[in-house]
Amino acid sequence: MTYVLHLAIYIAIYSILALSLNLIVGYCGLLTMAHASYFAIGGYTYALLTLTLGWGFLPSTAGAMLVAAILSLALSLPAWRFRGDSFVLISLAIQALVFSILSNWYDAKFPIATWRNLANGPSGIPNIPKPDIIGIRFDTVSSMAILSLALLAICGVTLGLLKISPFGRLLKCMRDDELATRGLGKNVRLTKVYAFGISCSIAALAGVIYSSYTSYIDPSSASLDHSILMVSMVLIGGVGNFRGPIVGAIVLVLMPEILRFGNLPYATAANVRLLVYGVLIALMVHLRPQGLMGEYRFR
Amino acid sequence: MQILVNGIIDGLALSMFALAFTAVYLPTRVFFIALAGVYSLVPYVAWQLRILGFPWMFAAGTAVATGVLICIACELANHKMLERKRASPGAHLISSLGIFIILVQLVVIIWGNESKTLRTVIQPPLKFGAFNLTQPQLLAAGLSVVVLSTFYLWLRRSNIGLRFYALADNPTQLALYGYNTSHLRVLGFALSGLLSSFSSLVVAYDLGFDPHRGLHALLLALVAMIIGGSHSFWAPLIGGILLGVVRVEAAWYLSARWQDMVTFLLLVVVMLFRPTGLLRKRTTLEAEST
Repeated sequence: MTYVLHLAIYIAIYSILALSLNLIVGYCGLLTMAHASYFAIGGYTYALLTLTLGWGFLPSTAGAMLVAAILSLALSLPAWRFRGDSFVLISLAIQALVFSILSNWYDAKFPIATWRNLANGPSGIPNIPKPDIIGIRFDTVSSMAILSLALLAICGVTLGLLKISPFGRLLKCMRDDELATRGLGKNVRLTKVYAFGISCSIAALAGVIYSSYTSYIDPSSASLDHSILMVSMVLIGGVGNFRGPIVGAIVLVLMPEILRFGNLPYATAANVRLLVYGVLIALMVHLRPQGLMGEYRFR
Repeated sequence: MQILVNGIIDGLALSMFALAFTAVYLPTRVFFIALAGVYSLVPYVAWQLRILGFPWMFAAGTAVATGVLICIACELANHKMLERKRASPGAHLISSLGIFIILVQLVVIIWGNESKTLRTVIQPPLKFGAFNLTQPQLLAAGLSVVVLSTFYLWLRRSNIGLRFYALADNPTQLALYGYNTSHLRVLGFALSGLLSSFSSLVVAYDLGFDPHRGLHALLLALVAMIIGGSHSFWAPLIGGILLGVVRVEAAWYLSARWQDMVTFLLLVVVMLFRPTGLLRKRTTLEAEST
């Protein structure tokens, strides 16, 4: 039962991530490779606020989401001018910068969260506290599963409402024809800033759940491979609607578990999983460009 | 002086890889991420053949041929089919990402995650006046100069090179003149495989290799291409050498761990303030005003 709950937590975390990435890929029509950075920024900010300042779960989570929303300007401002390959390049640069800062800004002689040692480098930050909301402590797998599924539901409802709101329609309109949207007098630049801010802060929320559940975070959570995994989820599941990213997250989280039942060695299973992702992505572009459940064909 | 020479040699190997990406990107506009997979795979083929006892030339030649054939296969089995469907650049990029993941994971499954080396002995550096050069550095510098000069001469002096140049400039117009652009596209992918294999082998010979270095090398190559200007075949050469020097200087004055930080900051600065790169595209005033 613990194993199933553990899977449910991971499905919730990656569904939140996939839903947030869908806002950029599916509704803004921009492919970003930097989403893992914002996931890690959320996890690290939560860890630093709780461990060094002693903040509780809710203020730390709000702080992590705020920091991610502010840092999303690093992506949304270039998105004013760049689309397509150029935007992918910018996002790769942001990804590499964040990974480099988290990996290299440290000096073991100094305490964490100081000018000389921001995030403890490759060793990561251990002993991150479990969530504690108004006296209720979520320190068991079942309670974490309830919390993460509840947060997934809140994110799902929020993004669902956003989709049917005038803002959601404006995003779709901007994705399909940015020039026409500007011609209608809409502020496309501000819309992108809002969309990236919302998306990156939700990714940070997923990072908070992850770091509080595992009580540990390290720079690998901000790696390009992790971003590729998130992009795979939305592309395989499909973008532009609500179902696709969740289906993608469920499929890609459960796939390695299914491979576990084969007689593959543990070390090889992880690579076979990635190999299957690669095959799925390559085939999907030819056979079903809109993904399993998507309604928008990525341009 | 020593740092400058080291930077230029690193930059030349980087320029070859950046040129490999440009050889596909300029004529076809395909964002060929799978090239990173080829870059990772090629040294393993050479290493395996050396382990089996084959001579150096055969091992290196087979590895390069493998790289070329994989790139051609990528065009014929993937990008050409997408082009027929008039797929978007995004579709090309995503499918190439899929191929990259497949290639890297195959390398890991077959050869494992460990770092390997192509060299078995370390020879002392040779003294050239004010600076020293190691044997791998000499090989990298010599091969890069020969390969890059041959490419640029071929591009500007041979008939097929000029056609290739024209394809990069205006593929539609070239097709309207009756030239077979499909063959030239395949040639672009083959050249890309050739250049990336050479670059990968010289870097692997100097520093060793592991399955995950391809993507990092591709990112550096992209930065070099963008710094130079992403619309010219000369851009990778200029951008690659400049980036090589900047990275070595960053390692010397700051620390090797800040090399990537400096590299990607440079990319952000160039993209924000001079997105056309150092080499601006020559256009007429009429074209600029439209």
